[in-house]
Parts: sequence; structure tokens; C-alpha cells
Amino acid sequence: MTLRNTPARWGAVSQFLHWLIVVLIIAQVILANIAEDLPIGMKKLAMYARHKSIGITILGLAVLRLLWRLANPTPPLPTTLKSHERVLANLTHAGLYILLFAQPLTGWMMSSARGFPVSWFGFLQLPDLVPKNDALYNAMKETHDTLALALYAIVFLHVAAALKHHFMLKDDVLRRMLPFTRKP
Amino acid sequence: MKAVAARIAPVVMFVTGAHAADTAVTHYTLDPAKSTLEYQFVQAGAQNKGKFTRYPVTLDFSPDNLATSKLDVVVDMSSLDTGDRERDDTLKSADLFAVSKFPQAHFTSMQITRTANGYDAVGKLTLRGVTHDIHVPFTFRTADEQGKPAGYLLGRTTIKRLDYGVGQGDWKSTDEVGNDVSVSYSLRLIPAAR
Repeated sequence: MTLRNTPARWGAVSQFLHWLIVVLIIAQVILANIAEDLPIGMKKLAMYARHKSIGITILGLAVLRLLWRLANPTPPLPTTLKSHERVLANLTHAGLYILLFAQPLTGWMMSSARGFPVSWFGFLQLPDLVPKNDALYNAMKETHDTLALALYAIVFLHVAAALKHHFMLKDDVLRRMLPFTRKP
Repeated sequence: MKAVAARIAPVVMFVTGAHAADTAVTHYTLDPAKSTLEYQFVQAGAQNKGKFTRYPVTLDFSPDNLATSKLDVVVDMSSLDTGDRERDDTLKSADLFAVSKFPQAHFTSMQITRTANGYDAVGKLTLRGVTHDIHVPFTFRTADEQGKPAGYLLGRTTIKRLDYGVGQGDWKSTDEVGNDVSVSYSLRLIPAAR
């Protein structure tokens, strides 16, 4: 596997970013759902602190990923796709990219609007994106929660499509994003 | 002859008990509208801020008579304000400031000394029922504001919340809420009759 993408296959950097972000998003969902149900206390604070730090990490990785994608060839969609499938695939991928930015940013704005500055793992205190404002906090919380549901839906589509390609259409769409597979 | 008089004068005043008027301390009270009492603490790795809005201050002060100078501050703990209702309610609860049981914090100086940059009031801080000696360094200047005198007391000190039991149970952990709390004060004081 090469570092860079080829027309046939995602390179090591793209694969690493993809799967690292997958792991981090799973951690985010777990942290957020546990934290939400905890009573106010040190454990809740700790969970949200991790959630915010990982969110900022994802935002940074999303920037790298977008730049890397723009600087590399993108393995094309299979030619067997019908035009509406092509549109759906592109929309799904665009949606995922948008959410990789929108979710951390709305979370960050939510914290700023609440008056709780965000720190990246205690190493770096980030500036407040917006001034403290209760109405804005409520709006951002609503948006962050709604986008989480949108993310679940789009990820479901994305995974379902990957599995369909692998098991039903038996093409290399999934395999070209997997690090340890033999060439077909 | 003059030099001798200067040397003898304090002795005479001491013996007669007649302290000269210029070494009498001035009695000041707080101008709450133009004063701030703020604190900074680390929460989840980030610096967070809060303030108190009710904290009567009395200061008896003269730079020339530090021995009888005295700073006294009473903080109404229910006036704490970190800008977030939920956090304020949490801070007032039993495991943190326990405001219903300990409604006031109190600092009273035992001794005020001169330092390189100003003054240092060493005294007793009672917070959540626990008393420790702390240093309250400050600078002091007087101003004449259209014929009305005022005093400005400024400074910053650091206290450790766990020394006073502010943080019981899980809150004893300093992972997400730091032990050090920086307290800064910018007080406008007005001379008042005793």
C-alpha cells in the first residue's frame, strides 16, 4: 500500500485518517451518552472534558483529511453505479465531510455560548468562538443534538452501502479502504 | 537644635499618648459599584472565571501607621456568580461551599507589612468553617476625585480550595477542577467616619 491514494485504492494516509476518525466518533457517541445521564459532578465534567478534547481532535483531523483528499487522486466510484446511486453516494460522502466539521464546531460554539471555555486535553485553551449567550447556547445544543441524529443516519447508509458492495455486488469498494486485504 | 527636636518629638508623643494626627489611620468602607472581587479556577483544563457581588470591606489604613492598620472582608457566599446558574447552584451545594451552613467567608488581617511593591496583609481566612493564615498582598493609593478622597486597593492572591474542604466526595479530585484558585481584588474605598 502506498502513502498516497491511487486511482484503484485509498493510500495509507487516507485509510489511517478514515479509521482513526471512526474510532474517535464511536468514543464520542459513548462519552456523550454516558455524560448526559450522569448527575452533575466530577465524573460528568470529566466525560464532557474528554468529549470536547476528542471533538477538537476530530476537527483537526477533518482539516487534514480534506486537504489530503484535495491533494490526492480519489478512487472513482464503480462504473456499475446507476446515476441515482452515484448521486446518493456523493451526497452521503459530502454529508459525512460536512458533519466532521459541523459537529465539532457546533459543540465548540455550544461551550463558548454557555461560558465554559474549551481546552484540548488540558494542554491548550481554545478561544471562545462566540460570546456567552443563553439563547445561542440553546440553539447550538439543539443543532448539535440534531446533527448527531443526522450523523447516525448517514453513517448507517454509508456502512450499509459498503457492505452491499462487498457482499452483494462483490466489488472492491470496501476492500480498497481496508489496510490488510489481498488484492482481488 | 531642629535635629534634636525631631528625635525627641516621637518620645514625647509616646509618653504623652498624643499621636500626631498624620499617623492616625483612615477608616474606609467599600464602594461596591466600583469594586470587583473575582476568582479564576481551572475547570476541565480551561481557565474559568467568577465573582462575588456582596462582600463588605472595612479598611483602617495609614502607610505611616501599619501597626494599627487593619483589613477586614466578609464575603456573602450566596453572592457567588460564575455566569452559569447550574454551576452556581452546584458550587453552593453541600459538597462545595455549603452556603446554607457556611453563609459567609471572612478575612481579617493580623498584621500589615510593607513589601517591595506595596503591602502584605497576613491574616486569617475562614471559609467553609475552616480557618487558615493567608497572605493578601496589595497596593494602595489614594486619589482626590473632585475634592472627594478615595482609596484604591488592588492585588491578587492564591488559595487552595481543598485546604478549606471546598470539594467533598468526588469533588476532592483535582483532575477536572484545579486546587489553586486565584483571587483578585480591585476595591474602591471611601473614607468614612467611625
